[in-house]
Amino acid sequence: MTRDLLETGESLPPADDAATLKRDAEMADLHIREGRFQRWLALAAGLSSVLSGLEVSYEHYKGSYSRPVMYTPVILSGTLALAGVAGFFSRRSANTLLPAVSAITLADSVIGFYFHVQGIRRKPGGWRLPVVNIVMGPPIFAPLLFGTSAYLGLVASFLRRGDDGGDVVPRSASKAHWAASLSGMHETIDAGQDLREGRFQQHMVAATILASFLSGFEAAYSHYKNNFRYGVQWTPLIVSPMLMAAGVAALKSKRAAHTVLPAVSALAMLNGSIGFGYHVRGIFRRPGGSKKLLYNIIYGPPVFAPLLFAASGFLGVLASLLRREE
Amino acid sequence: MKNSPLLGKFRKPDGEPHMLGAMQRLTGSMRKYSEQDEVDYVVVGVGAGGGVLTQRLSRAGFRVVAFDAGPFWDTERDWVSDESGSHKLYWTQKRVTGGTHPLAFGSNNSGQGVGGSTVHWASFTPRLHPSDFQIHTLDGVGVDWPISYSDLKPYYELMELELPVSGPAYFPWGDPHGYAFGPHPMGGVGNALIKGCTNLGIEVSAGGPVAILEGSRADRPHCIYRGFCIQGCKVGAKASTLITHVPDAIRSGAEIRANCMVARVNLGRDGRVRGVTYFDEEGREHTQKARAVVISGYSIETPRLLLNSACPGFENGLANSSDCVGRYLMAQAGNVVLGRFGEPVRMYKAPPAHALTEAFYETDPKRDFARGFAVQTVGPLPIAFAKQMMVAKGAWGWGLRRVMMDYNHWAGFGFLGEILPHAENRVQLADETDGFGLPVAKVTFGLGDNDKKLTDFGVKKTMEIMSAAGAEEVVQEQRYAHLVGAARMGKDPRTSVVDQFGRTHDIPNLFICDGSIMPTQGSANPGLTIMALAARIADYLITQGADIFTSNERSDRISAIRRELAPPDTWGHGMPRIEAPVQPVSS
Repeated sequence: MTRDLLETGESLPPADDAATLKRDAEMADLHIREGRFQRWLALAAGLSSVLSGLEVSYEHYKGSYSRPVMYTPVILSGTLALAGVAGFFSRRSANTLLPAVSAITLADSVIGFYFHVQGIRRKPGGWRLPVVNIVMGPPIFAPLLFGTSAYLGLVASFLRRGDDGGDVVPRSASKAHWAASLSGMHETIDAGQDLREGRFQQHMVAATILASFLSGFEAAYSHYKNNFRYGVQWTPLIVSPMLMAAGVAALKSKRAAHTVLPAVSALAMLNGSIGFGYHVRGIFRRPGGSKKLLYNIIYGPPVFAPLLFAASGFLGVLASLLRREE
Repeated sequence: MKNSPLLGKFRKPDGEPHMLGAMQRLTGSMRKYSEQDEVDYVVVGVGAGGGVLTQRLSRAGFRVVAFDAGPFWDTERDWVSDESGSHKLYWTQKRVTGGTHPLAFGSNNSGQGVGGSTVHWASFTPRLHPSDFQIHTLDGVGVDWPISYSDLKPYYELMELELPVSGPAYFPWGDPHGYAFGPHPMGGVGNALIKGCTNLGIEVSAGGPVAILEGSRADRPHCIYRGFCIQGCKVGAKASTLITHVPDAIRSGAEIRANCMVARVNLGRDGRVRGVTYFDEEGREHTQKARAVVISGYSIETPRLLLNSACPGFENGLANSSDCVGRYLMAQAGNVVLGRFGEPVRMYKAPPAHALTEAFYETDPKRDFARGFAVQTVGPLPIAFAKQMMVAKGAWGWGLRRVMMDYNHWAGFGFLGEILPHAENRVQLADETDGFGLPVAKVTFGLGDNDKKLTDFGVKKTMEIMSAAGAEEVVQEQRYAHLVGAARMGKDPRTSVVDQFGRTHDIPNLFICDGSIMPTQGSANPGLTIMALAARIADYLITQGADIFTSNERSDRISAIRRELAPPDTWGHGMPRIEAPVQPVSS
């Protein structure tokens, strides 16, 4: 076997292979610890934006785009996807275009949250019938979850690239990052310093807790709408509080951040992936199945929603690899 | 204070506003004209045609009084979500019906009250196919329209935005097109139709076209799938001219005179109409003067009013020199096919109208008849279902009781077949009279050879689809749906009542604007076509301006479509499909 490969020259011997892999993994871990993963996080932001963009496109189509504002996330998610890919290839884009588009998208997700709350209030009974109207009205936290990829994009814009030197302050960041200066939360000379150095574990853990809560809540009432017809529909409701608890523990303890948090986060990602499989199956099991594919995607189980749940696990895994704030 | 709810009280009715649906309030006062005023237009009947026309004319600045024999509904107070409680929505006054295949009247084809039948239509809104406008040329049956599909197409597109119509992004039949509002989710019946059709390889449209909101729009909420469409939609999600066009008509200065039964149209010595005589709610007789009159009473009441308005010079009925008033009445074959499924279907959930196939719409040389049919979802509530089961299965007594306990397991498909126009299918006056002493309509209806073949074939095909969907027992009830014709339009004054703009051939300032002017019917539900025709007639009247009131000259001049006459809520919603008006008119 080994000889065959050697003869055809297609691969290195397995021993070397494993060593390379190990070295690569250590390198990646080091890069993340030091905040040198701008390219990959920008790409992750872009790709996740494609998914959330598709999700919002057909969800708003279901609402017939009856308000012009419903077009904004569709347009922004496409723009963010492009900005993410551009950020992968170009440092300049990652430091200018990506944070700008991400900030606008994040603002749009908050605006969307406002409109979804209003949409629930507008329904007969409004907030007097919260359970009915949250279940039947516009998905309340979906716009905030839509902001996840924008959040990743914004974080990416602060980071260093893999080939950056060992300086704490990279060339481009002699001036404070404009987006960080907007937030006005640091008194240091350089607001983005912690982020750039990969020292934002607790920050990312907090984001994990929030994303986990939001997506768990969405899963709860969406599956409730379906009367928890399949037992597996309970699992995100179990995993989501687990992830939140692990997050709280990780906020307090460095040890938890390196043990229980990655474990539960990986579980959430697995759960989301399995859910994605079930949702795809659900679409094909609808009347007409693949012959009415587009229609069944619109009205079947929300196909990419489990992946948004998995995204909160992704945030957790990412957090576990970072260094803590000082 | 102790008992005040945690998050505030439910909204209290303040000053009892007139509600149109759950959210739309009729604010401001309505203009009132006195009988001495000679208004520009009197419109008789505020339904699909009259509602759209009144809105257009008043928005263009004409002084309009629109009469309706029934009430001006306050949907929150007058309507109930109950099958038997909704019978007041139908025109249930006395009519005499006969012929070889007598029609039943009421719930399925005649409305009364502002909004007319659109108040209780299921609101399927497909367009006619281009072939429908020339079936005589293409198939040698029926008669050609004086207009073509392309004349009506821009009006179809506009009305689909005004209602608006929800439907698939691509609708493949006739002139393929898409809808600005997205498709609806399926109920049990829609799922059955999709299953049946896909299993047989028949193309099927899921989620429309239907004039029910998928996604809220301005002050109208989206559909909540409670299934009370044909009992009057209290939600306000289903379009009816009562909630889509009448509020804008009132804001633009029209008067809606409800509960007034128009008895006759008055003709002057100069051969032009002068106005109408009507009975008010208390039965007192009044006269309203007008410079032109439009009749929009639908296929039974329009010819009845013309026949009741007979006068010297028009002894056979007003505008009836052709003897076509009341003739060429059509109904569509509307058999209901019911199938029993092992799993519960719960057909009361979701709108009755939400999926259809027009795969059999066009003439197929392989079949031994001309023209075709559509298959659509229906969702009869228990009373209608009991009647259908009585006919379809002869269920009675304990047997009917057992069938009714099984209601949740049944699904219903509506077959909709084109019946050709026949001169002997007609509306005449009976000897009996109504409460006002006006002779009632006598309706004669029968089927031709082509109609029977088409129905037999179509019902069989519909039952096949039901079986392919998995039904273990399939039955059917013969029935008719939708009326059109009885005052048809045409180029030749000897064989038609009105021209392409609804103008009667005999009297220059008398118009007809409703389903009765349709020369043939296709196998599409007629509502959208009636509204599109009304918008086109309105454009014509506005183009002609004061010439209508002063001149006997007939002009065929019509402006380009006036999109700015659409109610303002039309714009800024849905997927972009046709261009918005460049210069919207400020009200």
